Amino acid sequence: MEPQQAIRLCGFENGHRIESRVLEERIQQAVENGHRLIEIEAFGQHGLGGRLWKAGGERLHVKISGAPGQRVGSMGFPNSLVEVFGPTSDDVGWLNAGAQIVVHGHATNGAGNAMAQGKIYVAGNIGARGMTMTKHNPRFAPPELWVLGSAGDYFAEFMAGGIAVICGYEPQDPQNVVGYRPCVGMVGGRIYFRGPHKGYSFIDAKLIPVRDGDWEWLSENLKTFLTAIGKIDLYTQIANREQWQLLAARGPSEKGRKPRRSMEAFHQEIWDYELGSGGLIGDLVDFERSAVPLITTGFLRRYVPIWENRKFAAPCEASCPTGMPVNERWRLIREGRIDEAVDLALAYTPFPATVCGYLCSNLCMQGCTRQTARMTAVDVTQLGKASLRAKLPELPPIGGDGGEGRSSEDAERGVKTIAVIGGGPAGLSVAWQLRRQGHNTVIYDMRPELGGKISAMIPRSRIPDEVVEAELARVREALPHVHLNQRLEKSDLEQLREDFDFIVIASGVQKPRVLPIPGKEKIIPALEFLLMSKAGQAKVGKRVLVIGAGNVGCDAAAEAHRLGAEDILLIDIQEPLSFGKERRQAEAVGAKFRYPCFAKAVIDEGLELTTGEIIPADTIIISVGDVPELDFVPESVQTERGFIKVDEHYQTSDPKIFAIGDTVKPGLLTDAIGAGRKAAERIAQIVSGEGEQTPSSRSKIDYARVKLEYFDPRIAGFEGIESCASQCSSCGTCRDCGICVTICPESAISRQSLSNGDGFEMVADPEKCIGCGFCAGACPCGIWNLVENESIE
Amino acid sequence: MLSNGNLSPSSLSVKDLLWQVQWDKEKCTLCGRCCAVCPVHAIELGVHRKRFVQVPSLAEIGPSTSSTSVYQVYHGIRQKTDPAYACVGCAMCNLVCPNGAIIPLRSDEVDKLRYHINQGGQPRRRGGRRNAPDTLNLGTLDRIKFIRISMLTDPALDAGRHEFELRTLLGRVLPPEENLKLYRENGWIPPVREIYPLIIGSMSFGALSPTMWEGLQMGVAYLNEELAMPVVMCTGEGGCPPRLLRSRFLKYTILQIASGYFGWDEIIHALPEMKEDPCAVEIKYGQGAKPGDGGLLMWYKVNQLIAAIRGVPTGVSLPSPPTHQTKYSIEESVHKMIQSMYMAWGFRVPVYPKISGTSTALSVLNNLTRNAYAAGLAIDGEDGGTGAAYTVSMDHMGHPIASNIRDCYLNLARLGRQNEVPLFAGGGVGKNGKLAANAAALIMLGASGVQVGKYMMQAAAGCLGSESDRCNICNIGLCPKGITSQDPRLYRRLDPEKVAERVVDIFLSFDTELKKIVAPLGRSTSLPIGMSDALAIDDNNAAERLQIKYVV
Repeated sequence: MEPQQAIRLCGFENGHRIESRVLEERIQQAVENGHRLIEIEAFGQHGLGGRLWKAGGERLHVKISGAPGQRVGSMGFPNSLVEVFGPTSDDVGWLNAGAQIVVHGHATNGAGNAMAQGKIYVAGNIGARGMTMTKHNPRFAPPELWVLGSAGDYFAEFMAGGIAVICGYEPQDPQNVVGYRPCVGMVGGRIYFRGPHKGYSFIDAKLIPVRDGDWEWLSENLKTFLTAIGKIDLYTQIANREQWQLLAARGPSEKGRKPRRSMEAFHQEIWDYELGSGGLIGDLVDFERSAVPLITTGFLRRYVPIWENRKFAAPCEASCPTGMPVNERWRLIREGRIDEAVDLALAYTPFPATVCGYLCSNLCMQGCTRQTARMTAVDVTQLGKASLRAKLPELPPIGGDGGEGRSSEDAERGVKTIAVIGGGPAGLSVAWQLRRQGHNTVIYDMRPELGGKISAMIPRSRIPDEVVEAELARVREALPHVHLNQRLEKSDLEQLREDFDFIVIASGVQKPRVLPIPGKEKIIPALEFLLMSKAGQAKVGKRVLVIGAGNVGCDAAAEAHRLGAEDILLIDIQEPLSFGKERRQAEAVGAKFRYPCFAKAVIDEGLELTTGEIIPADTIIISVGDVPELDFVPESVQTERGFIKVDEHYQTSDPKIFAIGDTVKPGLLTDAIGAGRKAAERIAQIVSGEGEQTPSSRSKIDYARVKLEYFDPRIAGFEGIESCASQCSSCGTCRDCGICVTICPESAISRQSLSNGDGFEMVADPEKCIGCGFCAGACPCGIWNLVENESIE
Repeated sequence: MLSNGNLSPSSLSVKDLLWQVQWDKEKCTLCGRCCAVCPVHAIELGVHRKRFVQVPSLAEIGPSTSSTSVYQVYHGIRQKTDPAYACVGCAMCNLVCPNGAIIPLRSDEVDKLRYHINQGGQPRRRGGRRNAPDTLNLGTLDRIKFIRISMLTDPALDAGRHEFELRTLLGRVLPPEENLKLYRENGWIPPVREIYPLIIGSMSFGALSPTMWEGLQMGVAYLNEELAMPVVMCTGEGGCPPRLLRSRFLKYTILQIASGYFGWDEIIHALPEMKEDPCAVEIKYGQGAKPGDGGLLMWYKVNQLIAAIRGVPTGVSLPSPPTHQTKYSIEESVHKMIQSMYMAWGFRVPVYPKISGTSTALSVLNNLTRNAYAAGLAIDGEDGGTGAAYTVSMDHMGHPIASNIRDCYLNLARLGRQNEVPLFAGGGVGKNGKLAANAAALIMLGASGVQVGKYMMQAAAGCLGSESDRCNICNIGLCPKGITSQDPRLYRRLDPEKVAERVVDIFLSFDTELKKIVAPLGRSTSLPIGMSDALAIDDNNAAERLQIKYVV
């Protein structure tokens, strides 16, 4: 059979349209039979001209007339030339794998859909979704779709390769040769087009210049296309480089979005333009609002550190009723200024050795920050004992003759005269302080010696006599005007009130409280017992019962033991309040404690309790507190429940009369000394006319601010005052250790000398500081504090 | 830290806290940033003592050589255990740490802090949402599936390729015959807005920082003017900056009026100078996060700016009562209020009420259907967020949005008026990040649009709050991201421009996601409001309650 001899196949037979399957079988058979030119008269059959691989490498020409169905040339092979003489239906060249398809008319929707190789030449327009899903396999040349006219809508969707050429000759829509929304999802290939467009998917495609190489390819292949469709005469008209544009797919990295105004530009050009400078609230605020970083310095810090040196009192100082600056004294010792440390005490108490060293329950040590961490408190008694050698400072001169009473000279210089009733700790304290201020005091006491409780009642076991003596000598040196053995009456007081500027009553308590029970007269009051004991006149039986197990009771118990008692019992109605040295001494001598016990009557055998139990005793001592004797107090002074009533400055209802010590409220020695100091301060204030001002006392520092981790926690005791001083944490007062300078992550803190040349301060540079609070966290003394920065508005 | 072991009832250890700060000594460089940035001062530099017992060879121990204790100190970050300084888990410390040496971790058991947070007799208050992390991160809305996928049946639509009409209507939509009749007779036809169905819900100027508020508004303006997306935002109660009132951007704004009436005199004064009408007016009756609870802006937060916008003096506490005064019945509340608000703009602006999710929502709705002016109804469900509320209100009061909106829609359908009174749903939309899915579910249950607040804070500004009780300190003005703070030192951390950019990102991505949902359903020409045949859930009870399909 002649290979070039055409075989004609008709899609219509015996008055019926042949099924697509049958026509396909006949075409395949013809090829197999060696036919290489096939003429088909189509009647809507599907997929004509494709899949003709049986021709192998030989060229094959399929000519289609009539009305071909959809997908002409689908799955076409490179050996095939499929020519449609007229328009064609949808999906011409679908999945084309190499065939050349020439359509001498229009093509409807889907032209070239998913083709990967081959060429489609359309001599008219194409419908919607042409050149969609096309591919380019690198093993082969890219597929091409040539359209003489225009493309329909949604052209080149998801185009992944190949070349489309839209010549724009007699287009369907003269305003738009590539249709509505072309190139959506396009990822590869390029589209040459000639004529206007109305947009394309900017996200996926971009217009690029037609370069010389492009134009060379286009103009050359245009000739082939026009020749194939028989329109070469249009070449000059169409091959006008100026009229051509080129769309290419964006690469993955170029996939962008529609060009749109940046927000920065919108902010400036639209937003602020419409609203005015500063935007939404530019008219309402006048401060800077630009963005700031998370870590800021200067006034943008939320928190700022403050060096609060000496702003707060150390707990020791705050705990001491006298206000003794204990930690300041330790500081002086650390600086080697031991004399100053010792002498400083005399500004607060006339008895630094007697009280601080021996008799005080040392509230300072109880308050010591170290105690909060179960560390041994700094031992103030060592410093107290060392203060025996404290030297009296030079006192301001008084009076022409230094005598008692008012001299005109004194009056001119503002020296006042004050009568102090009672020469015990309270009275001596107030007189001591007033004298230091330059006032003249006269002390009256009904006992034969100064010192009150200290010299008269404290058991000798508690303190060596010579200590008390030495300190009393120092007191006598400062306070020459003392009248001992003076029992004053009310009329005396009224006279003193006239003669002196002020009177301070510090007469203590004398009357023991007694129990209103039968046989009470057989009970010995503890104070009386202690006085007698000290005077060597007391006697006790073998069995001693002490009613009231407080510290005085304990003192009585210890004394009773010294005097020969063997069986000592202290009873109380509640858990005994005794503590400290007194308690320990009583326990050391074997005294027993019992509570709750309620006394009913004193009988011959001893004491009968309300329960009926009889506690045998030879001697019964009572120490349930004492009350003052106030017969001598003028009517102008109000009392309350047996004590003198005072305000917070120890001033009584008579403005010329103050009252301090146990006369006001029973307390510790240090309470009495502290009250003396505060009353003296108040008197000085009144004298200088400062009026009703509370003395500014610093509040106690928060323990949590002090860092004890810098100290060895296992130190159980101290050898000498230097050792004590070294373990003091200097709460609230900078110890100049420089840890803050070191810890500051921004190097913001520096130590600067004060301009007056006296001392230094730590300064945080606001321009460097970020407000982290590391300085506060690391400071051993609790000086640095982190506080909120000032409000911006 | 208790060094001597003294206990008080509220002495807590780190283990008792909800958020436990893990600090790594090895990695820490002691730069101080964590302590500087911590909003609540939960951490501080601590001094730590370390003891080493040095033992020489035992053979050598004798009178002259013995073992010794050597102490060293090191400095490190320590967490405070005082409830007042409890870590809130915001992890700003981790954000600023150059070495990743610090991070708060959530307690592995129920914290003890919750029993001690009421110091001074003051119950806990906070911001954020209901603290109820959903099991497996799935709430009811998240579990609703869209099961009606069109493939060979309806036109298969491509979200990326096809064009979609996603706008919704805000306003009273009259039946066509009625509308045409009024049109012919030149009668009053209620104003209706075509808006984007994702609405930025009411967050007041005051609840939000100035930078956050401006960022949201700027983003909304951008979406409208640069991207032609008709997105609108509700002011919340706290007035509206005077410049916005006098700008064309007002048309993208829903003005809210609530029980405190703050800022309304400024709005009234601006009326003659307005270039545009606002989009709508929302009358707030309730808030989903704290139904029936009012608000109180504490005096110390009422700074110059807030005062100017709300029309009050500075330093005065501003109460918003739980209820509107002078409205004593539902008729009065609805009719009196709606009519008054319509009058302000010559009946050109739609007015609708917003209520918290409640079992009484139907009563309100039925009243609205009888009111010719009511432009819609917004319902805010229990999962909504707030700037400040009592925890008890937040965690236990309110009604879930899904069934509430569904009941309302089905009732409208029974009345044949489901296209007339649009419903807007809010409260926990996007709570687990599934914004578009939640919105689509609510729309198909019957909502014409959804309102989101908290999601915007999270997505547009990086709010770190969570339903696992992270951060949630909006109420104390210490927002570490500057979103809810009125302190310039904090709110200047937030750049309005960047917020606006994120707002645009959110709406664009939402738009894509919404299309990814409606395209397979074969819907492109209108929002599938009430298209509940597309919905299913893997819980039979929920399916029955919502009248959607049950699938497993």
